Amino acid sequence: MSDSQHIEDVVVSLNAVSVKYTVPIVRFGTFKEYIIRRLQGRVRNREFWALNNINLQIQKGEVFGIVGRNGAGKSTLLKVVSRVLRPSQGSVRVNGRVAPLLELGAAFHPELTGRENVFLNAALLGHSQKDVEEHFESIVDFSEIGDFIDAPLRTYSSGMVARLGFSVATSWDPEILILDEVLAVGDEAFQAKCHARIGEFQAMGATVLLVSHNAHTVRSICHRAAWIDHGELQAVGNPADIVEQYRKAYSE
Amino acid sequence: MQRSETNEVKMTLIQPTRGWIGINFPELWRYRELFFFLVWRDLKVRYKQSILGAGWAIIQPVLTVAIFTVFFGKWAGIPTDDIPQPIFYFSAILPWQLLQSGVSKAGASLVASRNMVTKVYFPRLVVPMAPIIAALLDFGIGFLVLLVIMLFYGIVPTTAMLFLPFFLLLTIITASGVGFWLAGLNVNYRDIGHIIPFLMQLWFFISPIVYSASIVPEEIGPVYRLNPMTAIIQGFRWAITGTGQPSGETLIASVAIALLLLVSGIYYFRRMERTFADVV
Repeated sequence: MSDSQHIEDVVVSLNAVSVKYTVPIVRFGTFKEYIIRRLQGRVRNREFWALNNINLQIQKGEVFGIVGRNGAGKSTLLKVVSRVLRPSQGSVRVNGRVAPLLELGAAFHPELTGRENVFLNAALLGHSQKDVEEHFESIVDFSEIGDFIDAPLRTYSSGMVARLGFSVATSWDPEILILDEVLAVGDEAFQAKCHARIGEFQAMGATVLLVSHNAHTVRSICHRAAWIDHGELQAVGNPADIVEQYRKAYSE
Repeated sequence: MQRSETNEVKMTLIQPTRGWIGINFPELWRYRELFFFLVWRDLKVRYKQSILGAGWAIIQPVLTVAIFTVFFGKWAGIPTDDIPQPIFYFSAILPWQLLQSGVSKAGASLVASRNMVTKVYFPRLVVPMAPIIAALLDFGIGFLVLLVIMLFYGIVPTTAMLFLPFFLLLTIITASGVGFWLAGLNVNYRDIGHIIPFLMQLWFFISPIVYSASIVPEEIGPVYRLNPMTAIIQGFRWAITGTGQPSGETLIASVAIALLLLVSGIYYFRRMERTFADVV
């Protein structure tokens, strides 16, 4: 009984997850080159484990931070949870609707207006047109785009694009929100709004999984954190401790 | 903020996939709106900054037919089965442009949509499918132009016209099959981007567009008919003029090859799908 209770509380569960990239040692971008080398028996691939045997359980309602250096496997982990990548080994169990914010405005097109892009991007996240119409006002309000909403996206500043992207992705309260460095967008005031919105989600019981290079962000908003290096889980625990360990490892 | 759709807990298991996987129809259906948005985006972006806009859908086939009439018809004197030359060419150009535009754009689609594919999960099949369906608008406009030209030549549609949707569907199936293959291949081998124009040029000449299939030597006939475009173009000409019905065996070969391309294309695409996010 207590066991099943426990399982229900785990919303994201990674069981021995490994992701292997096969990287040719000599990169051949063309088919001809590939054929020639293949015939010569000179196709040698380097196997590269972006994630190696990761076991991690994330509880309902948690704000979970992931720290690590560039190329440590943080983004790969988020991609596996959001189904963009499939693990090479192991499995991931996800309990609930995932809102991926791997990059804001993934489907944004510069020639389309802000309004058109909102609809397109929401469709990409799996929302129906009717649903978007209902939320449209609040999306635009939150993004502070104002009258620019009917101008082509190419006329926007990068901050405006990011604000609109954040706004679209977070207008539906997700059960699991995945954030990859996206909190670094916009000016300070907008960042504060983003933090506030994440706080709201959390209050409603959403789980947040985020990657950040900002030690302050991790310490101030996360409940737990994990440190990943070379695709391996180094430590999991209290955010302040994890950030401390992570910093120590690289200051030596 | 409201919870959209349902409150029920949805469990997803993400694990390695092996072997061959078919289509997940319920999932495709859930993403139908995304599909229509992608089609709409293709159309919108294409015509947005051009002065003539949708006028290009008229100019392109008309100019092509004019060029063919002068060079292949008048100068080279290639026979057109007693069909007025503009009608002869136009009825072949319509399915051909649908195929060419669909295949070329579908082939490049995944690489062009890299941003979406590497960031968000959605059924990838909608990406190459969208430009093929978008090309139907040009087809529709071109067809209206053809009706005007038919009127000018006093050609009255016969009951054969009722078969036009069938040949249109066959064109879409062929374009999708080849498009899926090329889109999947293009992710791993960028050469495909260079190969597509040559492939289309070759395909153009092995299809009875500027000549009639009746001039093809009988000994290569069986091989020639394996090209699904042979029956499709003959079928379009027949539907429009009421003469030159494609033979039963040509039709069967065409349908069989088109379906084979489609099914194998889907399976190849689905098989390669797992690598898209890291190779694209």
